[in-house]
Amino acid sequence: MTDTITVTDLSKWFGLKVAVSEVTIGFKPGVTGLLGPNGAGKTTLLRVIAGLQRPSQGEVRVLGVDPRRDNDIYRKISLVPEDESIYDRLSGRRFVQLAARLAKVDRPEERAQQVLETVGLVDAADRALGGFSKGMKQRAKVAAALVSDPEVLLLDEPLNGADPVQRAQLISLFRRLGDDGRTLLVSSHVLTEVERVSDRVVAMVDGRLAAVGDVATIRAAMTDKPRRVYVDADDPRRLAAALIARSGVLGVQIDRETLHIETSDAGDLARALPRLARESNIGLAKVEPVDESLESVFRYLVEGR
Amino acid sequence: MTLARHLYMRIMRRGRVIGLIALSSVPALVFWLAGFDAPEEELPALFTDIIASVGYSYAIAALILTTATLRDERDSGTLPYIYMRPIARSMMAGQSIGAGAAAALTIGLGGWLATVLAALAVGLGLDVPLPALALFVGAGIGYAAVFVPLGYMVPRSLLVGLGYILVVETILANVVTGLAQISIWRISLSIYAGLEPDFGEVATATLGPVTPGVGGGILKLVAVVVVGWAALTWALRNRDAL
Repeated sequence: MTDTITVTDLSKWFGLKVAVSEVTIGFKPGVTGLLGPNGAGKTTLLRVIAGLQRPSQGEVRVLGVDPRRDNDIYRKISLVPEDESIYDRLSGRRFVQLAARLAKVDRPEERAQQVLETVGLVDAADRALGGFSKGMKQRAKVAAALVSDPEVLLLDEPLNGADPVQRAQLISLFRRLGDDGRTLLVSSHVLTEVERVSDRVVAMVDGRLAAVGDVATIRAAMTDKPRRVYVDADDPRRLAAALIARSGVLGVQIDRETLHIETSDAGDLARALPRLARESNIGLAKVEPVDESLESVFRYLVEGR
Repeated sequence: MTLARHLYMRIMRRGRVIGLIALSSVPALVFWLAGFDAPEEELPALFTDIIASVGYSYAIAALILTTATLRDERDSGTLPYIYMRPIARSMMAGQSIGAGAAAALTIGLGGWLATVLAALAVGLGLDVPLPALALFVGAGIGYAAVFVPLGYMVPRSLLVGLGYILVVETILANVVTGLAQISIWRISLSIYAGLEPDFGEVATATLGPVTPGVGGGILKLVAVVVVGWAALTWALRNRDAL
């Protein structure tokens, strides 16, 4: 299967800020999750692929065409933008019909009705978009994107604000569209969300590609990241001595009664700690893993620290 | 025409339209107040003087309206819904300027009708105010051709446009002949002057070195529209949409 989207040596900067840095990647038909913390460059990458922004360096081809040079490509490519912005005064139906007319679709009213049914928005279709919930707005945006029956669909955080039922419906819709042979690029900053949408994940951080592969590979890479755990014990020195001999423990620091443990295998530590404490007759008052942001996990994938 | 209709409906918000028609009607109000005490034979000159000088309020109304045509879409994040469509950028530019011009003309029509009513109220009749429609139409189209691209291309376009009207059109164009020749207000005023020969002193002074004449004024306006359309087409093709 050939790539429907090719990104070659792509960089995009705004003044001194580099949003996307030297990204080279191809996307095939099916659903690909674009994962990364806020500010990772996902939105910029999608906008450049969509032709809304021109690359500062490198090139993008969608179905073999530069989207900034051939406007006809917009018959085959659609974007669901991240912003909640939408025409609040229009009804859902008028919004989708407008998208159909601008996309030069045959029988726009009929087509609008079809896609409103697809996203489950028929009942609310004649209400003003301004009164829609965030999840309903997302579905209206998805309907407007689907109206031209695109081969390539770019979705920027499409599950934001959707309730669990809507979320499940949208995920099922995305999977179905991917199975039909369309190319879907779905961005999110939540791994579990991407995991449900797609088997293939592209992780980004600081504008660069952090990892590319299936969800299991990404998850394994994240699990390998050293974690820090704080432990309050009544005899921290003896506990430290017992822990330091373990292979997964990378370092131990003692601060009064608190142990700061760094481990490459948090699971093994969680199992070993109670046993060691019991065998050494040491009381444990508190075991607290340090909460680490998704950003730090991604940074580990990129920089190995 | 779907895009032009959509853009027109979006910028013509009720509150904005009412406020801008009121702004465009300021010359009518001033003429109505001044015309009551003026001798009847001076009314035609007074009318043209007030329209030519106070009429800048319409230029400001047109600025507010037309810069919003694409700027509203970009600022509110809805531009992708119209940008990512199989529409040639030249067509998109044309429809955007067309929508801006239609909106400016709607407001201008309101301002012109107010001047007609004011003229009737002070007993001037219709001969002098009727040709003034050419001034409002010409200015509406000319300002749309300049300010729609400005709204898309320039940050703080309202401030820049206001600077153009207040500094270039009302001050510098009075002393620099070259600027007067490309001043949209003076070009439109020259069309009106070609239709209404009884121009007052202030109106004639405002016109300055610009020769009155319908044909020449229209030709200059066409040139302004072509330049504005070409600039917007270039920007839509080559600059970031967001």
